[in-house]
This record gives sequence, structure tokens and C-alpha cells, in this order.
Amino acid sequence: MRATPWRRIGWRNLGRNRRRTLFTLGGLAISYTAVVVMAGLGRGMVAEMVGNGTGLFSGQIQIHAAEYLPERSLYSTIGGRSGLNVAATLAAVEADPSVDAAAPRVYAGGLVSSGEATVAAGFVGVDLALEPKVSTLLESGLRGRHPRSGRNELWIGQEMARQLRVEPDDEIVLVAAAADGSLGNDLFQVAGIFSTGIADVDRSLALVPIDALQTLVALEPDRIHEVAVRLADPWEAPPTAVRLSAALGSGVLDSEVQPWTELYPEIVQYAELFISVEWLLIAIVFVIAVFGVANTMLMATFERRREFALLRALGATPRTVLRLVFTEAVLLGGVSLICGMMITFPILVWWQHSPPDMSWLYGGFTMAGGLVRPTLRVEYPGAIVFTAAIALFATALLAATFPAIRSSRVAPAETLMGR
Amino acid sequence: MWSPFCAAIRSVVCAGAFTVGAIAALASPLSGQEPREIVDRVDQLLRGESSRGVVEMEVVSSHWERTRTMRIWSLGTEYALIRIVSPKKDAGTATLKAGDEIWNYLPRVDRAIKIPTSLMSSSWMGSHFTNDDLVKEHRLIDDYAIETSYEGLRGTIAVWELDLTPLPEAPVIWERILYQVRKRDFMPVWAKFYDERNALVRTLHWSEYRTMGGRLVPTILTVIPADQPEERTEIRYLELEFDVGLEESFFSLRFLREQAD
Repeated sequence: MRATPWRRIGWRNLGRNRRRTLFTLGGLAISYTAVVVMAGLGRGMVAEMVGNGTGLFSGQIQIHAAEYLPERSLYSTIGGRSGLNVAATLAAVEADPSVDAAAPRVYAGGLVSSGEATVAAGFVGVDLALEPKVSTLLESGLRGRHPRSGRNELWIGQEMARQLRVEPDDEIVLVAAAADGSLGNDLFQVAGIFSTGIADVDRSLALVPIDALQTLVALEPDRIHEVAVRLADPWEAPPTAVRLSAALGSGVLDSEVQPWTELYPEIVQYAELFISVEWLLIAIVFVIAVFGVANTMLMATFERRREFALLRALGATPRTVLRLVFTEAVLLGGVSLICGMMITFPILVWWQHSPPDMSWLYGGFTMAGGLVRPTLRVEYPGAIVFTAAIALFATALLAATFPAIRSSRVAPAETLMGR
Repeated sequence: MWSPFCAAIRSVVCAGAFTVGAIAALASPLSGQEPREIVDRVDQLLRGESSRGVVEMEVVSSHWERTRTMRIWSLGTEYALIRIVSPKKDAGTATLKAGDEIWNYLPRVDRAIKIPTSLMSSSWMGSHFTNDDLVKEHRLIDDYAIETSYEGLRGTIAVWELDLTPLPEAPVIWERILYQVRKRDFMPVWAKFYDERNALVRTLHWSEYRTMGGRLVPTILTVIPADQPEERTEIRYLELEFDVGLEESFFSLRFLREQAD
């Protein structure tokens, strides 16, 4: 495309006071970088929260008996008293293209005792082969080894171990009300002690091989409370849950398929809050930039009042002058955007690949039930790259508006006479 | 807080120094009683010295039914030992109450475990009684303001109906207790327990008043949870002996582990 004279003039004008142009351009480019990188950090924190909140234990989709939540009654197993074909159900769930893996679980409440110390605990019966494909809890190892299937072994949280004063390989007593009305009790060996960083989990959760827990609480092997499902993309959970519900509807009576967005709406709210903050960020950064750029443009156009007057005297209309100043602003925006992108993208790529570990500054913390690790994780912020680009151009144009109007209103005769 | 279960046990097993004759003497005159006096007399009837007995506890829940036979021993209000005799799966399991502590002995693993404070309000042995019911020993008259809400005939039986509301700062969980007591012999008939929202939580019924071990006692106690009226726990007293000369040392962890018989 052939450059119009206005574009050429605008381009030359940018080169007249290079230092000033460089500062203006730098301001806009850094504003762009700040917005995109901050948005990337926000998205990183959301991804961390969603990933840990759903990946540590809960899974992205859970299947229960319809009446299981919120009471979590021992008797409310999927498929009722007769149970279900666990292997066939898992196969049906894993047949969905969005599903990575699925694992069965049994829950019970009771006591764990060692010596004179006794604490209340929630027991989770997990399939030791399938569970690591769904959640990372079995990976949160601190000491010891994994429990072995078919044995009375378990993993307990670090805080529970401290309260019971036990170490790996110590024996402890598990007591739980069983489904037949008896008091289930047996000796178990502590295989390992995990540490998730989430106080509630580390204090009150014990992971038991699913068959050992079913024996303890007198549940048959085909009676389970939950199927936890892992998806490749957590945000695919709601539509996948609908599909699974339809797929299981005919086979598994009275089950409820819930995505994490339903189970933990607070995580969704946090995510939405973070994303809404991006707009506030754009507004704040570019409003500040507007004033800086407007000041420079005002100075640049004021210095050229005689030129504008001459153009007017040679027959240029006020509209032509407006167009000239705006063209200059668009060119400035364009160059700033290119510079901004050249700064931003390498930072994003580097940061995404090697997030700095901030644990020397602060520890992990929990937000909406999910652990947020002390790393500055960055996710590619997607649409914000374009939104921020549009905002940058809008800033340049907005900043040029007042100087452009003033320049277009220059009175040719008086200005050329020096009045 | 008065403990229905222990009280129930004591009402027949460890009952205080009140024989049938003594109760009859206390009960005279039968009219014009202060409500506090009535409650205190029933309360005292349900407290006492050493005792020994056999009870049957039938628990009916919406998922299962289970009847256990248990031997029980008690000494005053501080000590009690309950050992399950049958069914076979539970046989040997025992509960020791010593002061504010409850220990469960589990023969399968040969361990005694102490029930933590956080679980005191949970179910005792799957029944509709809580661990707290076993432990709490406060007297009703110390914690509640008591008024007579009705005095007269219910059917053919002359009764008092008492309305108990907690005194300020009283460490109790019930916001209101309604209590019916027979005038003739100060025998409790029923008690209804209400929570802080004034909703009925559970009802206790005493029945089958018989002379056992030389005393008139209600030999059946039934608790019905209000939210699941189809469920119940019924305690039936089969054998009773009083003043059997037990020592405090009997109620120790060492004895808990042994076949105390």
C-alpha cells in the first residue's frame, strides 16, 4: 500500500524529536507489557488455584448417589444397597473423549488411635493403582512409602501423625461405625505420612486401600461412594458432566454427576474475580498513560503551531490537520505496540517455562480450598493480548484528541504573524 | 447436664439409697410439691452407689437393627463399665467411664482408646445416645429453671408435667426439656428435649416399672430421635443387683482389658 502524504508527514514528525518520541513510545510499550504480564500472572494464579483445588484430591468431576451430598452417609453408595459394577462404570466414564482417568472411592468417619492419643479422622478408601491418575494426593509424599493394596496399611497427614506421635511403620488402631451397625476396628500400619500444605487435610485425612476400608466398615466390594474423574482441561468439566450424566443415566440408577464448578463455586467466583480485575488493570494503566501521552502530544503540536498555520494558509482544512495529528498518534501506537510485543512475549515465554520460586519470600497458601504454591506462574492470557493492543491504540488516539482539536483550530493569519 | 443413659442405667442399677419404701416416704405429701423438689427427687432416684446388672440394648436404624446384651457395673456417678456380651462380633467390646473420660476397649485389637472431646456428641456404639450422655453429671436443678406446666390426671394417672429452661450461663445443650413424672411414686414417664431453635430433638420414654433388686424402677427406656421417628434405641433391664461393693480400682484400664466378671 502506498503511503499517503499525511502518513509520511506523521512519520517524519515522530522522528523530529526522537528522544521525546522514544519516551512516549516507551511509556505506551511498557503499559502494554505491564497489562499483559499482570493478566498472565492473574491467569497463572487462577490456573494454579483450579489445578490444585481440583487436582489435589477432588477431581474435576465427581459421581455420587443422588442423596450422598451433603450428609455423606455411609449407606448412600452409588447404585444403592446392591452397589454397582465398578469396572464397567469406570470404563463407561473413561469412554468420554474429555476424560483422562477415573477412580472409585469409599469414605468413612471414625477414630485413629495410638497409645493414649486419639483423633477423629476421615478415611478415604482409594484404589492405589487408579488414584494417582486422578489426584495428586498420593504424590504429596513426605515420608514413608505408598500403602499396599489388600493390606491394613494407610497414609495419614503430617499433622495427624504429629498429634498421634507416630512415624512410618508404627501401628495404629482405626475405629469406624460399620454399615451393619457394628463397631469396625482393626490394627493398621502407617505406610507413609503426607503433607499437602492444607491444614484441614493434613490434620484429618487418612488414605486407606479401598478394599481394606470396605472390610473395616462392612461394605461389599461393589459398594462405593464416589467416582472421581480427571479431565485434560478443567474448564471442560460442565459439558463433560452433562455427557457423563446422559451416558450413565440408564445404567447407574440415581447417580449425580457434578463438575467442580458446581462442587466448588467459590473457585469459579475467585476465577471470575481475577478475570474481572484484568479490565480494571487495563483501565488504570492506560488512563495513566493517556495523560502522559497527551502531555507530550500537546507539547509536540504546540511547537508546530506555525506549520499548521502554514498548511491552513496553503488550503488545508481543519479536518486535514486533525487527520495529520491522528495519523501521527496511530503511527506512535503502532510502533509502541510492536515494541511492547517484542518486550512482552519473550518475558511471557520465559516466565511460563521457568516460573520463579518465591518460597524464599512467602510460603504456599490456600485460596478457595486449593493450595496456591509460592511460584509466580504465568499463563498465556489469550484475548487480553488483543484487548490490550486495542486499548493501547485507543489511548494514543484519546491522548491525541485534545492536541489535534487545538491544532485544527489554529488561526493561520494571526499565528503566521506571530500573534 | 443430667445424663439419660447413665441415669437410665443408674435408675435400675446404681440407684442411690432410695428403696421403694424410701421413695414412698419421700413422695408424701403427693401434692403441693415444689417443681425443683420433684426434679431433684427423680434426679436423686437415678443416682447412687455401686451396682451390677445385665441389659439388652436394641438399636433400630433405617439401615440395620442390632440387639446387644451388655453387663454393666457402676459406682456412684463417676464410674461405669459396660461390656458387650453378645452378639459374637461385638462381644468383649467395653466402655469405661471414669469421671469426664470415656475409653472404649476393642478386643479384636486388644487396645483401649480414649474418646476425644470433639467426639463426645457423637453416637455411643451406634445407638441414639451420645458419649456425652454417659459423661455429663450435672444436676438438672443446678442448670435449669423449673416450672410446673401441668398437674393432674393424664388418662388415669396423676402426673406432674415440668418445663425446664436453662439458667443464664448454664453449660447445657438443651434449650428446653419437658418432663412428665408420676405423682404416685416419682417415676419418670417421658422427657422431651428441644434444641436452641425450640425444635424437638428426641424423646425418652420410661416404662415397665417393676421391682428389681428390691427397688421399683422403670425397666425399659426408649429414646426416639425426632428427625427419624422410625428409628429408636431401647434399653431393657434383665438383671439388677445393688450395693455390690465395687471399688474404684475396678474401673481402671487394666480391668477394662480383662474379662471383668
